[in-house]
Amino acid sequence: MSPRRVLAVAALIVVLGAVLAPGPAAAQAFFPRDTPKFPQARTWVAQKAKLPPYSPPRTPDGAPDLQGVWGGPIGGGNDDIEEHEYVDMTTPPQESYISDPPDGKVPYTPWALAKRNEIRAGLARGWPGESGERLYADPTSFCLNAMPRASFGGQEIVQTPGSVLMLSANGYRVVPTDGRPPRNPGTTSWLGSSRGRWEGDTLVVEVTGLNGRAWLDSAGNFYSENTRLVERWTRVDANTIDYEVTIEDPTIYTRPWKMNYPKRRAGTGRGAGGVTAVTILPPANAAKDPYASEFWEVGCHEGNAIGAHSIRRLGFKWYKGVRPPN
Amino acid sequence: MKRRFEGIIALTALAAIVALAPAPGAAQTSTAKTYTPPRTRDGHPDLQGIWQVLNTASWNLEDHQASLGIPAGQSVVEGGAIPYQPWALAKRKENFDKRAALDPEAKCYLPGVPRITYMPYPFQIVQQADKVSILYEYVNAVRYIYMNGNPHPRGPIEWWMGDSRGRWEGNTLVVDVEHFTGGTWLDRAGNFHSEDLHVVERYTPTGPDHLRYEVTIEDPKVFTRPWKMSMSLYRRQEQTELLEYACHAYLLEQEWDNPASSFFEQRGEK
Repeated sequence: MSPRRVLAVAALIVVLGAVLAPGPAAAQAFFPRDTPKFPQARTWVAQKAKLPPYSPPRTPDGAPDLQGVWGGPIGGGNDDIEEHEYVDMTTPPQESYISDPPDGKVPYTPWALAKRNEIRAGLARGWPGESGERLYADPTSFCLNAMPRASFGGQEIVQTPGSVLMLSANGYRVVPTDGRPPRNPGTTSWLGSSRGRWEGDTLVVEVTGLNGRAWLDSAGNFYSENTRLVERWTRVDANTIDYEVTIEDPTIYTRPWKMNYPKRRAGTGRGAGGVTAVTILPPANAAKDPYASEFWEVGCHEGNAIGAHSIRRLGFKWYKGVRPPN
Repeated sequence: MKRRFEGIIALTALAAIVALAPAPGAAQTSTAKTYTPPRTRDGHPDLQGIWQVLNTASWNLEDHQASLGIPAGQSVVEGGAIPYQPWALAKRKENFDKRAALDPEAKCYLPGVPRITYMPYPFQIVQQADKVSILYEYVNAVRYIYMNGNPHPRGPIEWWMGDSRGRWEGNTLVVDVEHFTGGTWLDRAGNFHSEDLHVVERYTPTGPDHLRYEVTIEDPKVFTRPWKMSMSLYRRQEQTELLEYACHAYLLEQEWDNPASSFFEQRGEK
């Protein structure tokens, strides 16, 4: 593939990805109506149970080596995280991302479920149960890097003494692993305050200090500024990280709940349950392209996203987060 | 005679001091020669950490007096003035007059290189064997300076932050940046460039907590010759992690519910 053609394809993917499903996913595909249901948590939990024990290599500092470029799940969190059927060409049928509770549903309290359904009814994007009204657009449409969806896209993990870095084409996270306390609670933000530690072969990251202004997916599933995330990153074979995130918020959910999916090493051609995000090229072509492993600029907010003006002019409101009733 | 002799001695001594003392501009280079930075595991000078400028270049690269909300500042440009072509000097004035509406920073766009370096936000340098990454607090921006042997990809490409390729020259990280858009500025005073901008940055450790940052700017469409700026980068010792400045989120939230807002039209959005 000539550099010019690579560029043209990359530009097309960026534009389509951003227009149709703005967000952290590195590549966006189109799915015909007869697309079979994509495996997510249910299938992955069953596969994982059969994997042989695996001992990951270690970094020079003795930590489990999670380094490399990793993809995220199909859809990149730009769909409904609960199980759903075919919606449109950008939203194929999928199993739930949720591994616990076993029914794959977000365990909302009654008022929170009503709020989620109210948000969903106002999506105006062809989702079942819509009222036709326009309420909020997915906040990720505005190119904000927010947790937990920042972990859903393609990213490179880099380990340094005292921190783990998660780098992507249009953003980064720095996770200190030096035992420091969480940031002051007065500084909430989109990515929150991440603090990591090693438990055996697993990187455990606690995320607090979130501002609750982003969603868990593009279908209105939400969290709040009281939400605490606990991520568990574990190598289960040479080319796979088992990613699990526990979501706790007694003001919204009846119990802590979990999402679980595999992150596959980019360029290994492993598609099922995890895309080879980051590089858009098949492995054979990627091996020939010296630039395949580089992150190139996305420029999301600067022009590749849907214009905020268009969304505003359609009558969508600015999402300011949800406060639990007193 | 004795007094005259003493005078000669004094003059000679003064001349010797002047000759031996480096000129102000050369002081940093002289220090850099004597400072040996620690090394990374890969054997390169270790520039890692959280850094920030302490100057007014973000407002205006050239000499400027204070005005409301803007501290006075001295030029960081070698020779003082940017060597604009006549048409470009007129354009710079127009930019200045209309800066509230035209400055790409006011739209929270990626500010380009070198502007992002001297904005009033910290950034973190992270080194690996095949690249140096710079993580900026401003809009969670990240820049990868590849040192993997790949040349700049073939253009034309117009990227907000350009394409960065690095190399080591002694203790100095030298970064060659091209493939820019003409849509970014160099500061808030309307100093600008075209898409033909070519930037060479030099990051040189001059002590454990200081980097010398020198930039050569080349753009034959806009300037009469290549020109240079230089400044110090300071280690942010009390700031142990980057926070977030989600510029466009704050801006959109401010403008969203204002029916009279002309912001969206000014951005040129459909």
